[in-house]
Amino acid sequence: MRALRRLAGAVPPSAPVALAIFLLFALVVPRFATAGNLENVLRIASILAIASCGQAIVLVLGGVEFSFGASAALSSVLAVSALPDVGPVGALAIGVATVAVIGTVNGWLVSRFDLPPFLVTLGALMIASGLAASLAGGLPIDAPPSAAFAWLARGRVAGIPVPIVAAVLVLFGTHVLLRHTRIGRIWCLVGANPVAARLSGLPTRSAVVAGYGTAGLLVGLAAAILTSRVASGQPGLAPNLAFETIAACAIGGIPLAGGQGRAANVLFGVAVIAMLNNAVVLLNLPVAYQQIAIAVVILAAVLLQRDGWPGGLWTRFGRKGARS
Amino acid sequence: MKRAYFDCRASWPSYARRDQATEPPLTRQSDPAGRGAQARPGVLVLDGIAKRYGTTVALRRVNLRLDAGRVHALLGENGAGKSTLVRIVVGAAAPDEGEMRLGGAALRLGSARDGIAAGIVPVYQHLSLFPHLTVRENLSAFAYGRTGPLALRPPLVAAETARRWLDAVGLDRDLATPVERLSVGERQLVEIARAIGQDCRVLLLDEPTAALSDRERDRLFLAVRRLCERGTAILFISHKLDEIDTVADDLTVLRDGESVIEGVGRETVGRADLVRAMLGTAVNTGAHALGTPGPLMLCARSLRVAPSDPPTNIAVRRGEVLGLAGLVGSGALRIAEALSGLRPVASGSVEIDGAALLPGDRRHAVRLGIGLIPADRSTDGLFAVRSASDNVSASALSLLSRAGLLRGRAERNMVAPWLQRLGLNPPEPERRAASFSGGNQQKLLVARNLLVPGLRALVALEPTRGVDIAARRLIHEALAEAASAGVAIVLASTDLDEVEALSHRILVVDAGRVVADLPRGAGHPALLAAMGGGGARAA
Repeated sequence: MRALRRLAGAVPPSAPVALAIFLLFALVVPRFATAGNLENVLRIASILAIASCGQAIVLVLGGVEFSFGASAALSSVLAVSALPDVGPVGALAIGVATVAVIGTVNGWLVSRFDLPPFLVTLGALMIASGLAASLAGGLPIDAPPSAAFAWLARGRVAGIPVPIVAAVLVLFGTHVLLRHTRIGRIWCLVGANPVAARLSGLPTRSAVVAGYGTAGLLVGLAAAILTSRVASGQPGLAPNLAFETIAACAIGGIPLAGGQGRAANVLFGVAVIAMLNNAVVLLNLPVAYQQIAIAVVILAAVLLQRDGWPGGLWTRFGRKGARS
Repeated sequence: MKRAYFDCRASWPSYARRDQATEPPLTRQSDPAGRGAQARPGVLVLDGIAKRYGTTVALRRVNLRLDAGRVHALLGENGAGKSTLVRIVVGAAAPDEGEMRLGGAALRLGSARDGIAAGIVPVYQHLSLFPHLTVRENLSAFAYGRTGPLALRPPLVAAETARRWLDAVGLDRDLATPVERLSVGERQLVEIARAIGQDCRVLLLDEPTAALSDRERDRLFLAVRRLCERGTAILFISHKLDEIDTVADDLTVLRDGESVIEGVGRETVGRADLVRAMLGTAVNTGAHALGTPGPLMLCARSLRVAPSDPPTNIAVRRGEVLGLAGLVGSGALRIAEALSGLRPVASGSVEIDGAALLPGDRRHAVRLGIGLIPADRSTDGLFAVRSASDNVSASALSLLSRAGLLRGRAERNMVAPWLQRLGLNPPEPERRAASFSGGNQQKLLVARNLLVPGLRALVALEPTRGVDIAARRLIHEALAEAASAGVAIVLASTDLDEVEALSHRILVVDAGRVVADLPRGAGHPALLAAMGGGGARAA
């Protein structure tokens, strides 16, 4: 009984929204509900899902990460440059480590000097994209063909594409981290009220560094998969990654004010974005419509989810609210 | 015991009248100022107000009548519906049933701005001034609410007008002073002055004295009286019964969303009846039984918190409750904070059970078993968006995790008895902390700190500020029980009744120095004398 109740509590309000969109598109959009298309949607969504888990951790901490896109680009350039010398595994490790290090430094700057995450990660964005552009000389670096290198994006495990497997593992790992570990709880408490967390004797600084570092690690993995897919070091790999991850988290229902957030929020937020993108392509609409559609969905999702489900809009009409 | 709140009573016949116990209860007809003539129709009348939020009934049936020139006290426990009623009166919420009349005409408010326009002006606990603007600019602020968004900035109120408003509340400050340089009490007076400028008919004071010193409070009450003489009706909300006795003419008591006492004269209800009406049962608000202190636990050696402080030695024994009292700015609070490891010190040391505390390092202090209930619940204590359970277990995460994983069942088993012990209402540990009333939020902080692993000392700053009587009693019992179990407790509170009821001994602090060490039962007069300020109050 308790397990059932907890399960019900764990389903975020964005889940029915995602389900409704899925059913709508399955009925209306030609070729949407075919196995091939859905696998394609999942494969593309998996990279966003992995990176969004990183953003979710930072948001829970009460911060925000703008540098993901730029550090992913730098990671891709460094990994491909190192590929001839260190081999595919070493190159991908370098790629992952690059983003993890940038994240850790961001976390250290934020916690040690009490700087606004907004500014720190914006600075990191500029530095990383500058470095990536100068290292690559402005042009993509082509990777020598390597089956091992391509496996990360194109291989399969038990018939399932590797990125999808990775995304499932990362989502599960993030769920466990945020809900069932001590560090995850400390992230939530620090995000909810940093002063109270410090006065309660919690290791707030190291928790913030660990949080940004973990986020970097996850985005590093997403960057490695992307690099493997494009098989080149791209200084313009995923320029909007940070914003897409913020969008996914917001649609999924993670408040930007911090202190709250689950992997399930990420899952459904990413699903909504991926289905919208896919439908725009299938319907042969101009790509610009994707962005407009996503923007509208973000606003609608945030409005609907204010004060929890059925939340927001209902509250505005006075049917529900906090008794004081 | 009656405390001397005012120095100015000689010049204030209507107040002096109050202290004459022999006076018959029906003095209102002979009121020389003519305040509160019974026949006058109320300024603001609420009739049969009901309000529901979802399935929760906040107000069932409330009647309230505010008369011109009278102070009407609104009492009730946390959760009785006071806040909801206030929201309805100021226009921030609309009632589901019942009607409101202002000056005889039906009143419908769509927003707090409508309320202000109609002459119902609130002064909240959390001040609504603009700290970076000057006094005069703040006094002009309501004018902005009446202009369109693209209109030119409305002119500031004339200097002499502003001066007159300030004089009416007895505030003598330069009009060009930025509000952030005023004390909390002075800011409150500015808010009231602004209400006067608004020709307000109803002034609402929501726990106005929570953060005031005694002198500031006297000034506030004086301003309230002056406003009454101008014919304003005042709704006064406070938990402090002494203040109600001092300032109120009439009172209404809410319990479970109903007005159980409706607008009767203050003199007609005794203190015990009042408390019974609020709680539904009689309660004992007297002193707590305390155990015998054991050996030395927490001590400060040659401690100087600020470089200008003289060195101070403080010793708290196992099982002892040490009260710290002193005027605002006396240093009582900062000494208590230094003892908890919250505040860095200029020199000297704090030791617990022989181990030296790293000053300013709460993490180290918690590892040594020192709990801290911070003075400001919402900014320093509460994890508002997290559950009650998360709020409580925050201090004990190291006990609740194995190899980094939290043990959910262990957490529930640890938290539940404490929530039950403190009577969390509603008893839902998974409910978001922000949705509990202030008293219940405070219970969460108390439970969190009693759960500190290996608790040896607890520093409680204002543990029951803004908390209703029932919650206060439960919190006091929990603290007394912790002391009996051998915890050394430091209690710094502006509430002298609280300090006296709970402490084995009371240190009085002045200018960062301990000036008196009073035993239990020394009584108010001795305490006040030691604090050096006749009618002054602790910090």
